[in-house]
Amino acid sequence: MRPGAPRPRIIDDVPTDVPRRSSVLAALSAAVWALPADAEAVSTAAAAPTPAPPVEETKPLLSYDGAEPVAVTAPAAAVVDRAYPWQPPVRTTSRTTRQTSAASTLDPAVHLARRASWGATPDLVAQIRSMGRTAWVDAQLDPASIADQSTESLVAAQWPRLAMAIWEVRDAYWPSSTGDLGTDVIQAYVARALWSRRQLFEVMVDFWTNHLVVTAPWGDAWDAVHRYHIDVIRGHALGRYADLLVAAAQHPAMLNQLDNGSSTKRAPNENFGRELLELHTVGVGGGYPESDVLRSALVLTGLSTERESGEYLYRQIRHHRGRLSVLGWSDANDSAYGEQVATSYLTYLARHPKTAQRIATKLAVRFVSDDPPAALVDRLAQVYLDHDTRIAPVVRALLLSPEFAASAGQKTKRPLENMISTARTLGVQPGQDTKGWLAELVWSAKVAGQAPMGWPAPNGFPDVAAAWAGAGTTMASWNWHMAQGWEAMQTSTPRVAYPSFRTLLPDTLPATYGALVDALASRLLDGPLPTAKRDAVCAFLDKTAASTLKSTDPVLGWRLPYVVALVLDSPEFATR
Amino acid sequence: MTDLAIPSDAADAPAAPPGDGECGCPDYVRAGLALSRRGVLGSATGLGALAAGVALAPTAQAATSLTFADSGYSGDTLVVLSFRGGFDGLSAVVPVAEAAYYAARPNIAVPASRTLALDSRFGLHPALAPLLPLYTSGKLAVVNSVGQPNPTRSHFTDMDEMERAAPGSSLRTGWLDRMVGATTTPGTFAGTAMGATSAPRSFLGPSVELALRSVDSFQLSGAGNATEVARWTTALRALHDGAADQYAVPAEAALGALATTTALKAAGYSPSGGASYPSGSLADALRDTARLVKAGVGLRAVTIDSGNWDMHADLGRSDGGWMHDQLTSVGKALAAFMTDLGSVADRVTLVTLSEFGRRVAENGSGGVDHGYGNVSFVLGGGVNGGKVYGAWPGLAPDQLLAGDLPATTDYRSVLGEILERRCGLTAGTVLPGLPSARLGVVRART
Repeated sequence: MRPGAPRPRIIDDVPTDVPRRSSVLAALSAAVWALPADAEAVSTAAAAPTPAPPVEETKPLLSYDGAEPVAVTAPAAAVVDRAYPWQPPVRTTSRTTRQTSAASTLDPAVHLARRASWGATPDLVAQIRSMGRTAWVDAQLDPASIADQSTESLVAAQWPRLAMAIWEVRDAYWPSSTGDLGTDVIQAYVARALWSRRQLFEVMVDFWTNHLVVTAPWGDAWDAVHRYHIDVIRGHALGRYADLLVAAAQHPAMLNQLDNGSSTKRAPNENFGRELLELHTVGVGGGYPESDVLRSALVLTGLSTERESGEYLYRQIRHHRGRLSVLGWSDANDSAYGEQVATSYLTYLARHPKTAQRIATKLAVRFVSDDPPAALVDRLAQVYLDHDTRIAPVVRALLLSPEFAASAGQKTKRPLENMISTARTLGVQPGQDTKGWLAELVWSAKVAGQAPMGWPAPNGFPDVAAAWAGAGTTMASWNWHMAQGWEAMQTSTPRVAYPSFRTLLPDTLPATYGALVDALASRLLDGPLPTAKRDAVCAFLDKTAASTLKSTDPVLGWRLPYVVALVLDSPEFATR
Repeated sequence: MTDLAIPSDAADAPAAPPGDGECGCPDYVRAGLALSRRGVLGSATGLGALAAGVALAPTAQAATSLTFADSGYSGDTLVVLSFRGGFDGLSAVVPVAEAAYYAARPNIAVPASRTLALDSRFGLHPALAPLLPLYTSGKLAVVNSVGQPNPTRSHFTDMDEMERAAPGSSLRTGWLDRMVGATTTPGTFAGTAMGATSAPRSFLGPSVELALRSVDSFQLSGAGNATEVARWTTALRALHDGAADQYAVPAEAALGALATTTALKAAGYSPSGGASYPSGSLADALRDTARLVKAGVGLRAVTIDSGNWDMHADLGRSDGGWMHDQLTSVGKALAAFMTDLGSVADRVTLVTLSEFGRRVAENGSGGVDHGYGNVSFVLGGGVNGGKVYGAWPGLAPDQLLAGDLPATTDYRSVLGEILERRCGLTAGTVLPGLPSARLGVVRART
């Protein structure tokens, strides 16, 4: 801080959330804590299930009755032992990520809607059915072909400052930023996830946000994170990974986040050089020795920012000259202007087979299962290489694969997704205080441990169920479900627009409470609940399944949001 | 396994450069501004909206039996209080005998006459006066010149490394996750991040931890009283019956914790021994910690964060200002905590950590930039208190490391001793590569 510059007055009574990872909880999944080499071992250890044939779209809706849990395919304890030489000896085995239920009976359109969006809605499922899955995927992979004017207009109207250049942000806010631009970009990101018609694109934006991580709203990139998100992540989310990686490496947000902005040939900062290898490309098992980390950092010297404006600047005076070799890449590097050398290095890494494997694995974990079949990963890696690091063909191959079709029920929503999908299925639309409501959503996600874009470490929020199996996370999601009902029904002026909860029920009233719960489950969970669970919901209402439903009953009035929240609290809704 | 070992040519790498502590200091922006006023205001708004819909909890349920036997663990509750931002140990525990200290800090040094003597070399900042009786009675120890092996002077890197606590390995778990998981059957509250919406880095890993904003706020918002809690609990248990573990385990943990917090909330809480906690998030978290320790809910490790220590400018004088105000809160809160615990303090050990200390010399802004060696306080009934531990290197310019107090004690030595003697654990399991040196700061548990 410059001498004499005003110090932000920060009162004591404010919780610090500086270095927090979110409430990443129980995880037996080696994929989270283990190094990639172990993850590969896990994939190999797991017997690849026989791919089921693609399911026709005329199959009945999901039933949760009588579903058999799929057996664990990899011995978790052995995985843990490999991952942690210092692993404490006793480990509860109860937290294995048992594959859940229901899977193969799920309607394929529902399955695709859940996986390739921020939450299935009746409209989305109908759209997939009418277009056919392949055509829907192809359209989603060409987002420009999908009109989405209302979302664009909303974002432009609500968060006009997102258009500011980095230098303009500095000019307006330095040195006493309040993090507003970070807050803006977070809210816009959540709003798009909720309302954009380009759902698969928004899912991929989230994917890359958690791969090439820049933290918001508080962090080194306070002045640049919005442009990073828009120009780098959104700009390349379905493009070539090589382009995405180069764009990230030339962006002030990433350069500040990982300290490359201050790295020089005399005092190289290895942070970016290391994470580039370990997280962004080949992975820690990528076969590079520790000395490659320093050489990686030296290649990247010069990629920096302009001190006053904060904009990207290549600083020749900082660049290390002389031949450098990393992981089979080599360059004479005899000019101080080393930007092209850095680009050559980044492109080489993007095209590396280990990078292909790593990105294919992460995509399969996002879309298929926490422990995806090795054969699928290998195929996707090959698609990635065959298409010169283009993302869209990989996602297409993934979503149309038999492994994907066979994987219904095997993924769990993360907290932010749980909350957004709640609003999506309830049909929430922008209203008179959209930003205020979104701020509460962001806060609730933070309480659940997943502050959007708030993961402080450079490796992104994990996307395996075991990482989110915590009490606080679960309670926060449950409370969000209930909060929607209150906002919709007990607030005189809801901040966003809710369709009447009564429209969640059929026009013709069901005759009994059992039929009422069935109808609600079909609407909110894409299928009826098992009998015992249906009866439990009836009991919650002090009724039995056979009780006659009368039009004046409280369940059709003040009690409706409670029972809606309860149904949304079920594991069936928590399944991606 | 070899993948986890740092390759042997690591030594070829140059030492990490110090972070730029001055001028535009990006770390400052991060750690300073990260103390989000905005976030908290946002939260208040959101909670206000929620609270409006919640019926007030009636008195219905008295505290029932809250004793949860923790069959797998018989050690102390370990409370880790983290001073985020870089605590200036030289202001808190003043080296009164060092002329170099007074020469280096002409404007912000604490005059020896204002300090509370700990021994002939050190005096406590006057704002920490509430701690002096604890020091005198042997419940508070000071460890000086504490630090971690490879300082970068970057807030985040150093916090991360401190909480990973496994230098020289690629282990990604946090040390408290390993601590909580070191013995069997950790319960819902075994690892608790108190006063937090999310857990710190130290809890990263496979053991389940609980981020508990407060005991009273851990509620199911649809259930406004004990009857409704029971109604929801029955229904939610049924909905999760037979579900896969990733759904059933956290649901059961949430409902278990809810039963506890609901009963505790209904019972209310009055601190014991006339303890008077000051206002503030630190005191609130300590108060809830004491509450849960006394309720016997199976706390093994508790983390509490105290922010706003990144004093690059306007640190203030010993009788007023930023540092004085912060230390006043700390002193009062910790003293109240110990009073509240009473004899139960024999089952509690608290240790303070911070990612780095501050530079010895003040800067041109009346503050201090990022440094290295620091002070840790160790507090509890099993502490060999009343003593300042640790080899003191001195503060003459040639005794400093790039202008900073060196670290002569690896902070893990202090933690290791607590794990061994107070927690009954094999410290090397939790802290791989733990140095063998021990200072004798705590007694073996009886």
